[in-house]
Amino acid sequence: MTNRERAMNILHFKPADRMPAVHFGYWPELLQEWVEQGKLSAEDIEGWGDGNATDRRLDEILGWDFNWGTTYGAANGLMPSFETKVLEILPGGVQRVQDGNGLIQRIHPGVISIPEEDDYLLKDREAFEELYRDKMTFKPERVNLEFFKNFNENVYNKSDNPVGIHLGSVLGDIRNIASLVGISYLMYDEDEDLFADIVDTYAEMQYRCVEAILETGAKFDFAHFWEDICYNSGSLINPEIFNEICAKHYKKRTDLCHKYGIDVISLDCDGVTRQLLPTWFENGVNTMFPIEIGTWGDQFGPAREKYGKGMLGVGGMDKTALRKDKAAVDRELERIQRLAALGGFIPCPDHRLMPGTKFELVQYYAEEVKKIKL
Amino acid sequence: MAILEEISEKVQKGRAKDVVALINQALEEGIAPKSVLNDGLMAGMNVIGEKFKNNEVFVPEVLVAARAMNKGVQTLKPALTAQGVEPIGKAVICTVKGDMHDIGKNLVKMMIEGQGIECIDLGVDVGPEQVVEAVRESGAQLVCLSALLTTTMYAQKDIIDALKEAGLRDQVKVMVGGAPVTQAFADEIGADCYTLDAASAAEAARAFFD
Repeated sequence: MTNRERAMNILHFKPADRMPAVHFGYWPELLQEWVEQGKLSAEDIEGWGDGNATDRRLDEILGWDFNWGTTYGAANGLMPSFETKVLEILPGGVQRVQDGNGLIQRIHPGVISIPEEDDYLLKDREAFEELYRDKMTFKPERVNLEFFKNFNENVYNKSDNPVGIHLGSVLGDIRNIASLVGISYLMYDEDEDLFADIVDTYAEMQYRCVEAILETGAKFDFAHFWEDICYNSGSLINPEIFNEICAKHYKKRTDLCHKYGIDVISLDCDGVTRQLLPTWFENGVNTMFPIEIGTWGDQFGPAREKYGKGMLGVGGMDKTALRKDKAAVDRELERIQRLAALGGFIPCPDHRLMPGTKFELVQYYAEEVKKIKL
Repeated sequence: MAILEEISEKVQKGRAKDVVALINQALEEGIAPKSVLNDGLMAGMNVIGEKFKNNEVFVPEVLVAARAMNKGVQTLKPALTAQGVEPIGKAVICTVKGDMHDIGKNLVKMMIEGQGIECIDLGVDVGPEQVVEAVRESGAQLVCLSALLTTTMYAQKDIIDALKEAGLRDQVKVMVGGAPVTQAFADEIGADCYTLDAASAAEAARAFFD
């Protein structure tokens, strides 16, 4: 069987010859660390990105079958984006920078973490109309039609791995544009329709991007949303508001995918997602990813009982075991074996592999996960 | 009094303009500023805190309620100062060195301020020396440390050690929190308190001063 057949069979509760060894990439610091340790050469990691040639070369070296994040899509962010510029240099070398989304951040020198959010431009109706609406609308240049017209010949038919179409996000991008504080204030703005108007405008553009790609006849095995709108205690947004404003946009995009025969629709959201699962599952999303063990714990099994076979999973492997030792990896393999036995589940490290991950343990895991009984 | 209940309700709904108008009205009617603070603004934030803990409201509702509360406190401050009303205590709060995440820290700050505790917010990426200096200068009795990353959580220990070295450890209670932090970790690094969420942190902070 090919990896495509294996993965798609498992996610459709059909027989497969073995479990594929699936991953979700690496933090750049880890790849650099492996170079410094002499495990890889600088050439091996040059230009790494999800599913690209470097990623596939690393798959061969480490023993992976493929990266679930191998997806293709449109330029579905702000177009044109804002000019990225340094607004101010503060004491200690801290830079106040306006990014392409119009979000103003403080970049602290030498700190490897997310930037500190400082301010944002999307504050009210006037800012939306004057600065953002046009940047959020559909334009033909968002989709590389030539690429997608030749996609099956140049990409899909040449690959043995599952290939996904990226569906964008419904709320995650807007959170990145206006910050969490910003979207919170927008939700409760005196202009009660503003937040919904922003979400609808952005979602319509993303829908049209997906539609334009699928109309070319390009084939995909699965579709994929990105959100990241939960944290360690639950949803970052009131689930009722989420359901009221966002649900229809998932449905519209997933209905479109179904029309083109794509029935595995995954969604990437870190954090505790349980409050939003009903909205996602009722509106066409059916595959959770990457099922972070720190927030899901051992809840995939109970969630499967609750939602039935309509809930699939890719992820759920505690990546921290790969920083420890063989015994820790073996324990993790034993645990995910039980999840794999439920069907409709493909284990994958529960996020990008982080610094401190041991090269040899990754090779060991990639080899052993293929032996999991189905 | 009906107007104090109304202030509390408007805080809960995040209606900052209404809160400000009602506070001015309450003061004109001769209601004591401390009563407006305790039975209006703080009462509203307490309800939000409890609902947040029970998953009845979410981060956006807390943020807009806190914004309304802050506007209310600004409006009330001259009257409070004139009557000599003081905060019940002082806390220094920050996200530790190497970590830029501030949502959790800000939520805790808002909730703690909602308990009538003055917060000295040092921001993010804060090292031990800054915390020691802030405690020494302000005389704060509580230090709240936030870390969201497994790679930065040990910076909480560095701050506790620095407070010991500076001879300030016995003067302050240290509260830690953040996604990777657990009670076991808090015990390991010698913190006084760990709480799972912002509302519980505010309750614990209040308990230190009661």
